[in-house]
Amino acid sequence: MNLSQFNNILRQVFVLPVVALLVVAGALYFQIRGSNETVNLIQESDARISQATLLSKLVVDEESGLRGYETTGDTRFLQPFYEAESHLQTEIQNLDNLAGADADQKHDIADLRDEHQTWQDAFALPVIATVRGGGQTNDVDLNLHGKVLMDNVRHDLDDIIQKAEASRTRRIARWHRQVHSLLLVLLALALGMGVLIGLFTRSRLHAVSAAYRGSLDILSRRAEELYQSEQQLRTTLESIGDGVITCDAEGRIQMMNPVASELTGWSQPEAGGHQLEDVFRIVDETTREPVETPVAKVMRLDKIVGMANHHTILLRKDGTELDISDSGAPIRDKSGNTIGIVLVFRDITMERKTQEALIANEKLAVAGRLAATIAHEIHNPLDSVTNLIYLMRNGATPEESVRFMDMAQQELTRVTQISRAMLGLYRESKAPVVVDLKETLEEILLLMERRLHDLGVTVSTDMPEPVEVSAFPAELRQVFTNLVTNAAEAAGPGGEIKISITPQTAGIDGSGQKLQAGATVTIADNGPGIPEDVQPHLFQPFFTTKGENGTGLGLWVSRGIINKHGGTICVTSDTGDTDHGTKVGVFLATNPTINAGGGD
Amino acid sequence: MKGTFVYSRVILSGVDGQNCMKQHSNLVLCVDDERIGLEVRKILLERAGYRVLTASDGPTGLAVFSAEPVEAVVLDYSMPGMHGGEIATQMRQIKPEVPILLLSAYIGLAPEVTSLVDLYMTKGEGAPVLLEKLGILLQPVS
Repeated sequence: MNLSQFNNILRQVFVLPVVALLVVAGALYFQIRGSNETVNLIQESDARISQATLLSKLVVDEESGLRGYETTGDTRFLQPFYEAESHLQTEIQNLDNLAGADADQKHDIADLRDEHQTWQDAFALPVIATVRGGGQTNDVDLNLHGKVLMDNVRHDLDDIIQKAEASRTRRIARWHRQVHSLLLVLLALALGMGVLIGLFTRSRLHAVSAAYRGSLDILSRRAEELYQSEQQLRTTLESIGDGVITCDAEGRIQMMNPVASELTGWSQPEAGGHQLEDVFRIVDETTREPVETPVAKVMRLDKIVGMANHHTILLRKDGTELDISDSGAPIRDKSGNTIGIVLVFRDITMERKTQEALIANEKLAVAGRLAATIAHEIHNPLDSVTNLIYLMRNGATPEESVRFMDMAQQELTRVTQISRAMLGLYRESKAPVVVDLKETLEEILLLMERRLHDLGVTVSTDMPEPVEVSAFPAELRQVFTNLVTNAAEAAGPGGEIKISITPQTAGIDGSGQKLQAGATVTIADNGPGIPEDVQPHLFQPFFTTKGENGTGLGLWVSRGIINKHGGTICVTSDTGDTDHGTKVGVFLATNPTINAGGGD
Repeated sequence: MKGTFVYSRVILSGVDGQNCMKQHSNLVLCVDDERIGLEVRKILLERAGYRVLTASDGPTGLAVFSAEPVEAVVLDYSMPGMHGGEIATQMRQIKPEVPILLLSAYIGLAPEVTSLVDLYMTKGEGAPVLLEKLGILLQPVS
């Protein structure tokens, strides 16, 4: 359940009771309106009763006034009669005008009006006229007649009042029923709505509580995962073969793994909180100057500093030294700020020794291959010469001897050339000397002539003039022998190798890069080319495409030698159907800065 | 001591080569891509009384071997295209009875190559050794 769903439930739980109560209020309103109407009707009945009572009083007033006048003949007694008479018609009309009368009641009122009119016209007015004329009005019949008329009026009034009262009683009973039903409805609605709200709220709360339980589950699972991943990380750090130190953003040590403790000689509790430079002291192999730590470099450049052998030496706590390679990487928070730095380093003392051993091994392998070539190159002419001597010793004519000696001379010249080339290959020198690349390559091709011939490879060269560079000749020979061998084996029978030297003068190239004076030796074959997935591995040690026949060290050592010479070596290859082949370019500077350490 | 005996026999046959040629003019095929080496070997063997055919590569050698009544083959190992081992294998298929002497400028040929031929020797061991070994190969015939 997400927040909007939760808010939705909150809204529902708030809105539903309000709506329910509104419905209840509506229902009550209709009920109350119904009883209000009944109350109105009761009031109406009351009004009718009081109006009828008022009429009774007026009739009594009229009758009393008339009777007084009749007795005394004094007109002052007539005043109430007239007063009542003047009001009576209006009040009867008022009674008639009262709402809620049924036809029966209307009829009663009409009767009342008629009876009263009859009493007035047939009794009261004649009596008044008689008295005024001085006549007698105490006649029993007359008065009985008046009484009968008046009784009719009274009877009508009583009827009206009785009916109104009956109606009032009915209405009150109705009002009671209404109130009763109102109470029932109220009770039913309250119960219904209460149950509804209760059930609804319960269901909503169930959903919320389920979601809450789900969240709790997830949280506890996350906590478990976090714990596990932390354990994994910790175990990984402790088991890893490299030294790992983590620092905060200011370069203070936070954590180091056992290997880091062992390599630096500082235990984790000792080193914690120290600046990295105090614990991880590194100096340059040759100058002994302090070197910037990868952590400082990461802080300065704000990016990963890859693992590399910078020819640095780690000064351990006890004063001993280790050859190391190191790397650094920033630790970033979610918004990308550097909150710490990880330093990874390893002891490469053994690695360096292994590398040196491998380089020597490859040199021996090259020497071994060349020894076989040389044996072949020497034994062939030697065989011819011994045979020629044998022939001459066993009686040859002078003409034959001359011919034999010429032939022997040719073969000996060949041996001399081979021997010279071979000596050149193995003449070690301490300092770089001037080497003519053209001569060097020609000598190598001479030495390899046989091998190339055997492989069925033809070689064409484009080396117009001598090009001199400062170098270690034996090492250059090793490189070029290697590259020509590779090219020949790639080209295969019927293949071609093109070797060219392109001199380069010092200057600035198109992209503003400064160019050194020197030359590029290009060795190109028309073999099948190197697949793209293989190309990245070419310069790795022990990577070979020749199976048992290769050491996998040739290009690795060659690159080491070229780097030592301050030069570059690059391989471009095409595996296309028509234009396939591999081209290796080696740039050597005329006066290079020799890297004693051998590069990489 | 057997070596000394054979050595002197060969020297003798070399000295009066003219007679020998008439006595046992065995036909020998020499295969080698070394121009001068092949030429010298031909002269040497002819002086020793053999009739000599030459070929400078494997396919030519095999063609001559099939066409002529060759009695022995002196075969170079290292040649472009087809090396001595391959040529020997094919020759064995064509005429298994013809002996083959393998010459090599390399020291220490692999056993699977040397087992294909009757005898082998390293170049530069000298003419007497060559003639001696060829003589051994042809002895049963002569």
